[in-house]
Amino acid sequence: MKKLLLILIIFVLVASLPLFGIDRYYMRFFTYLFMWIALAGCWNISSGYTGYIDFGPVVYFGIGSYSTAILMTLLKIPFFISIFAGGIIALIISTFIGLPTLKLKGAYFAIATFAFAESMKQIILCFDRTFHVKFFMGSYGITLPICNNYNLFYYLMLLIAGIIVVITFFIEKTRFGLALKAINESEEASQMIGINTTLIKLSAYMISAFFISVVGGIYAYWVTYITPDDVFNVHKTVQMVIMSLIGGMGTLIGPILGATFLSSISEYLGAEFVENYLIIVGIIVVLVILIEPSGLYGLKKWKKYLKQTK
Amino acid sequence: MKIFIQTLINGILIGGVYAAYSAGFSLIFGVMDVINLAHGELLMLGAFTAYWLFKISHIDPYLSIPIAGVLLFLLGYFIQRFLINRVIEKPAIMSYILTFGLHLIIANTAVKLWTHDFRSITTSYSGANFSILGITIPVTRFTTFILAFIIVGFLFYLLEKTDLGRAIRATAQNKKVAQLLGVDVKKIYALTFAIGAAITGIAGASISPFVILFPEMGLSYTIIAFCVVVLGGMGYIPGALIGGIILGVIQALTVTYINAGISVAITFILLFIMLIFKPTGITGKGNV
Repeated sequence: MKKLLLILIIFVLVASLPLFGIDRYYMRFFTYLFMWIALAGCWNISSGYTGYIDFGPVVYFGIGSYSTAILMTLLKIPFFISIFAGGIIALIISTFIGLPTLKLKGAYFAIATFAFAESMKQIILCFDRTFHVKFFMGSYGITLPICNNYNLFYYLMLLIAGIIVVITFFIEKTRFGLALKAINESEEASQMIGINTTLIKLSAYMISAFFISVVGGIYAYWVTYITPDDVFNVHKTVQMVIMSLIGGMGTLIGPILGATFLSSISEYLGAEFVENYLIIVGIIVVLVILIEPSGLYGLKKWKKYLKQTK
Repeated sequence: MKIFIQTLINGILIGGVYAAYSAGFSLIFGVMDVINLAHGELLMLGAFTAYWLFKISHIDPYLSIPIAGVLLFLLGYFIQRFLINRVIEKPAIMSYILTFGLHLIIANTAVKLWTHDFRSITTSYSGANFSILGITIPVTRFTTFILAFIIVGFLFYLLEKTDLGRAIRATAQNKKVAQLLGVDVKKIYALTFAIGAAITGIAGASISPFVILFPEMGLSYTIIAFCVVVLGGMGYIPGALIGGIILGVIQALTVTYINAGISVAITFILLFIMLIFKPTGITGKGNV
């Protein structure tokens, strides 16, 4: 409970930042940061605990963005209902996709999710041209109504990030979380002691899909212009995976640490030469894997170890 | 009808090209269960070796094939020996992320060294064709197509007929038993990765006369290698030829008769459906 209280205090502090009138640049940076904390957190829920490595979570980001964009522009549905509807659409799609793919093991699951994400992107890219309609707008993308209320996006992203952290907190405390971890340890043994592994894996996958889609919807309205190459970009998937990994997979704090760390160095280095940033990310990833696979969070163990040896 | 046959031939030739650079991916997965996400970068390095040798020393790209092979063999050996071998006992995700880190490092270092520019090698035979019964066949693609058969044949011979091949197969089947029987597993892994990297580098040099070269070309080739290897059966080397040709033909037919966008979509849908319903590939010989 102490952890939750600490998180709550940080949450309130961060939430009051705009009241003091921070710079627009920092507003934007923090909004991005919350978005990545939420996304990395979602990936962590579905893959970090179970060890089922999802290489296509960006598909739900894209589905959320496109649902929101199409609902808002074609059907003139209000923003909040649209993002929620986007979440529901992702929930339905994730059920049909999750059921067959979650039966696959290891590399095959990773490739299947990746293939699904890329097929959705390509379908949206070529749908209009193939069927001669104007619906997804292909590579032209969709322009949404402009909303200048940056506080709204700041608080929405913060709220979703907060919800994800709380869900992860409860996952850590409940039988559901134990079941997820058990699947990672040994799926067969978990089945043997009566865990419905399919249901557990699918639930985690669906929770993650729902929130990623909602974040995608908020993102679409925030940036006001979306294209398949942006919202279905494989680099978003990669960011989610690397953030969780650098921070510590299957932990509460891991994705938060990883997202903060990577977003900060991306802001610092990426502004000048994106190659430098990517080379450094590559080196960090290789070092994390070789030296401390449990991520930044794992460094805590090192401290303990150092204390003991003194 | 002529268009249909021409499309079919184009597809088969592209399929051969696919097979040439996917065989190494399949070998590495089959023996070590490592999905090498830096596979496309090995290909890129092979292609750039040919490019620079052509640009600086005017060496014909086909003559630089052995040089690319040797360089990539050394790089591959190094990568496996000093990096991947350290995580090979850990959960498989570690090796994917590690190779992804290598992808980022290699591709972006190449961008820093060689910029984002698109390059190409123009030789006297670059645009050359020959025709049989009215069907046009580009010389360079045909050469790579033949090379694909040589590569697959060579791997097949190596694995089936040589002592090294027996050691590799033993390691792939049961690491512990192989170790007990005196096989130096880590060394076999390093050699396997080196051979996989070498044939990928060779494929890279051989496609360099007819593709556009740029430092970030790798990832899209890695993705095609995925599709090819899953279609043919992961880890089953001759599957690369079958998967490559099937994918090439399907793509060529959809490009000609529907549109180019849908051809990429169909590639991925096919990959997805294949994994769900028949993860062992069309040949049924892939390891799951």
